[in-house]
Amino acid sequence: MPNPSPDFRYPLRWRLMDGVERLADTLWPRSMSRHTGWLFITPAILLVGLLVLGLIQIGDASLRVLDTATFLPSEDWSLTNYRKALASSTYLTVAWRSLSGAVLVTVLTLILAFPYAYALVRVRKAWIRKALLITLFLPFFIGQVVRAYGWLIILGNSGMVNEALSLVGVAPMRLLFNYGAVVFGLVQYMLPFAVLLLVPALTAIPEETETAAGSLGASWPRILWHVLLPMAKPGLIGAGLVVFTLTLTDFAVPAMLGGGSQDYIANAIYDQFFRTADQGLGSALALMLVAAGSVLVGLVFMVFGAGTLAMGGRK
Amino acid sequence: MSNPVYRPNRRALLRGTAAAGAAALIGTLPARRLMAQDAPAKPAEIIVRAWGGSWVDALKKGVSDPFTAATGIQVRHDLTEDNEIQPKVWAAVAQGRVPPIHINWDTTTNATKSALRGVTEDLSDLSNLANTTELAKPVGLDGYPIVNTYGYVYVLAYRPEAFPDGAPTSWKALLDPKFKGRIALYNDGIGFHFPAQVAGGGKLEDIPGNMQAAWDFIAQVKQQQPLLGEDPDFTAWFQNGEIDLACTISTNAREAKKNGVDLAWTVPEEGAKFDTDGLWIPKGLPENELYWAKEYINFAISKDAQQVWCDGLGLPGVVPGLTPPEDLVGDPSYPDTPEEMAHLIRISTKVQVENESEWFSKFKEIMQG
Amino acid sequence: MISRSQKIVVWSLVWFSIITLSLPTLVVLGASLTAGNMVAFPPQGLSLQWYEKIALARDLQQAFLRSLIVATIATIVAIPVGTLAGLALSRFQLRFTTAIQVWLMLPFTIPLIGSGIGLMLVFGEWHVLGSLWPVGVACAVINLPFIIWSVSSSAVALDPDLELAAQNCGAGRVQTFLHVTLPAVMPGVITGSLLMFILAMNEFLVSLLLTDARIVTLPVLIYNSIRSIITPDLAAVSVVFIVIALAAIWLLDKLVGLEIFLKSK
Repeated sequence: MPNPSPDFRYPLRWRLMDGVERLADTLWPRSMSRHTGWLFITPAILLVGLLVLGLIQIGDASLRVLDTATFLPSEDWSLTNYRKALASSTYLTVAWRSLSGAVLVTVLTLILAFPYAYALVRVRKAWIRKALLITLFLPFFIGQVVRAYGWLIILGNSGMVNEALSLVGVAPMRLLFNYGAVVFGLVQYMLPFAVLLLVPALTAIPEETETAAGSLGASWPRILWHVLLPMAKPGLIGAGLVVFTLTLTDFAVPAMLGGGSQDYIANAIYDQFFRTADQGLGSALALMLVAAGSVLVGLVFMVFGAGTLAMGGRK
Repeated sequence: MSNPVYRPNRRALLRGTAAAGAAALIGTLPARRLMAQDAPAKPAEIIVRAWGGSWVDALKKGVSDPFTAATGIQVRHDLTEDNEIQPKVWAAVAQGRVPPIHINWDTTTNATKSALRGVTEDLSDLSNLANTTELAKPVGLDGYPIVNTYGYVYVLAYRPEAFPDGAPTSWKALLDPKFKGRIALYNDGIGFHFPAQVAGGGKLEDIPGNMQAAWDFIAQVKQQQPLLGEDPDFTAWFQNGEIDLACTISTNAREAKKNGVDLAWTVPEEGAKFDTDGLWIPKGLPENELYWAKEYINFAISKDAQQVWCDGLGLPGVVPGLTPPEDLVGDPSYPDTPEEMAHLIRISTKVQVENESEWFSKFKEIMQG
Repeated sequence: MISRSQKIVVWSLVWFSIITLSLPTLVVLGASLTAGNMVAFPPQGLSLQWYEKIALARDLQQAFLRSLIVATIATIVAIPVGTLAGLALSRFQLRFTTAIQVWLMLPFTIPLIGSGIGLMLVFGEWHVLGSLWPVGVACAVINLPFIIWSVSSSAVALDPDLELAAQNCGAGRVQTFLHVTLPAVMPGVITGSLLMFILAMNEFLVSLLLTDARIVTLPVLIYNSIRSIITPDLAAVSVVFIVIALAAIWLLDKLVGLEIFLKSK
């Protein structure tokens, strides 16, 4: 019931807002304000903590050796699994392939994502912009596995590309099941992520900056090198980190486009967990991958700053 | 185009076999249990893990549908891969949870790992075990923690187009330079290690002690740049003309052929690996569900169920007197005579289970190198 | 202003991206219309038989509904957690930033199989497996960095002086947050939550370990079916997915305008 009193009343929304403010003051007094950052970050830290609880279980498993007579893990802890993994030349090959592949994929993805994001931000016609956005989002919906299957049809020995090549007299060649195919499939998969993470950084660069540099006589490659890229650096680092870590741990693309001989570490981990039932060795491999990935991420954060993440913090 | 004609036929057939199966099932259940009050309460459904495609179609037609018809218990098929359900079941048993499935349709090797780990229920009291061949009994385990249900062969499948002079006679055909990049193996080499041992000049008796012959042969095959994959990959590769030769289970080759891929298969002179699949029940089920899961397996090894199920798979069952499907009479991938069996390679499950991960990693080492 | 050579370089790279991004989708679309039994392109004769088949498949529809639920839960969990974290990292001075960043990148540095096994053990210990919400929470965790990053990168657009100005004019902290801070990062929140939804909708590896046959989600169902043989009905499912996605994007465009992804303020 609205209060019929003729007295002046603040609108309901204001009163509600005041209540909320008072509540906020009680729950999180102003004296705590300098810790508000921690208040904001805690839920995320706790949520990711779920994964860390899982990692603890995996860490425990990694210290136990599988007994193939009972298929039970050993009671006592040892570093056998780690030793086994480090001594194996197979895992060394696979680790090197994942790492070099991740670097290559990151560089190629950024080379493609940068102009795409640039076009998205700078293009004047709204419909082109929308078309570019939709093109970016649609591939998500056919999923990684079905998408890889699409590539089998396109790039196969009797696929569309080879058919087209044969029209101009080029003999069919093997385009799939090699390192190149895996890298290509990963770049295609990572491209939308990279573009989406680059767009905000590019939006923040005023078009006038470019115009100004141009009117001072700089050629566009110089503008790109001296103006655009440095200004987009935070976005490039952010996008690069995401692409790098996701590629390093990817499983589906190497499995489907690599023809079985282009395994990444995640495939080796999969094999241990699911094929040979050696969860200890699989866990050890997984933990070493997490450690390597985290160290690299930490280094990037320390050397380059945190890209898009640190901009407010550095001011 | 033949679909509209084919479908009703198939359905009619299904109804027929379901009825026959139901009759058989009732025949096999102890009458006391079915009639009396003390038959444990029926669950609304039981979950059977199965392989997809023609595999689950065959199981549904031969076992699940008749079982539902007889008992009223729905059967839900969980198509998670056998390898991928394993850690789920193991974790459930270790954590004292109810397992995610009632029955696992599994390779005998994988099932043996679960049995050794102690997560399987004992099935020795199934009444229909009395009518099965020795193939049903898992080798090297006490009792029946698993019941084997049929055997299968890792054949050499080939595109007849690529072999105008007739079927390849030896696994060494894989080394023919004209097939470089056009051959395929399972990505852990399963099914190939043993024939490779023979083809490489080694002896089967030396497994697992000395398998150098196998590794040398596999290293030669590596020079041929084989594709490595799993069942669906083989079908896709044959279909898209990527490969001419592959070591695969005959059922997959037969399925691809039925789908219109021009394909044939053979058991080369060195022999081919023979193995079995089976059914087992994970520990931790409620008493009544365990009872009905056992009844399901008991029915699956009855003659009527085996005839339909194994026909669908094109594989020899574990009950004597089954009639082979028309297209497989005399086929080496359907061994039903002692001579045919003698030509195949069968290595004890115990040896396989204990050494498999070594073999896989050795194979990987060669292939990823 | 833009030179000819620049135009050519930029647009040829963009066209290359457009073609690589769209080709598999087009092939799958074509393959779903085949009259034959195999996924092939060009299709062997045209027919809608595979759409008819999936229209009748109740398990597919139920799995689709479950995926919607999982994706919704994941998004609902991720929006507040990710937005606050994104703001905390970009707006506040925190100590041990590098450690926090490394921690928050764990969802990407842990291989999905590891996350799946780990979460299966954790949720299993808590005896909560068998319902959909743990799957939703899992999908929120493994993709969390996406929303954190989209929010923090759009926080670039927010001038900290604006917040001070609002507070100077007497706005309370909550009010400032709701009327100044949040609208500024809204593009990031929307991009992030859309990504969360889409990715949760398509997640198969972790979901595989957290679901069972009774609560299987669509991507897991597709993944499992593909393991034995790939048939055109799966292509048809993908196409239905795409159509629904297009409808959702169209709706989003009508409601808020797609421009929101690109807006800086």
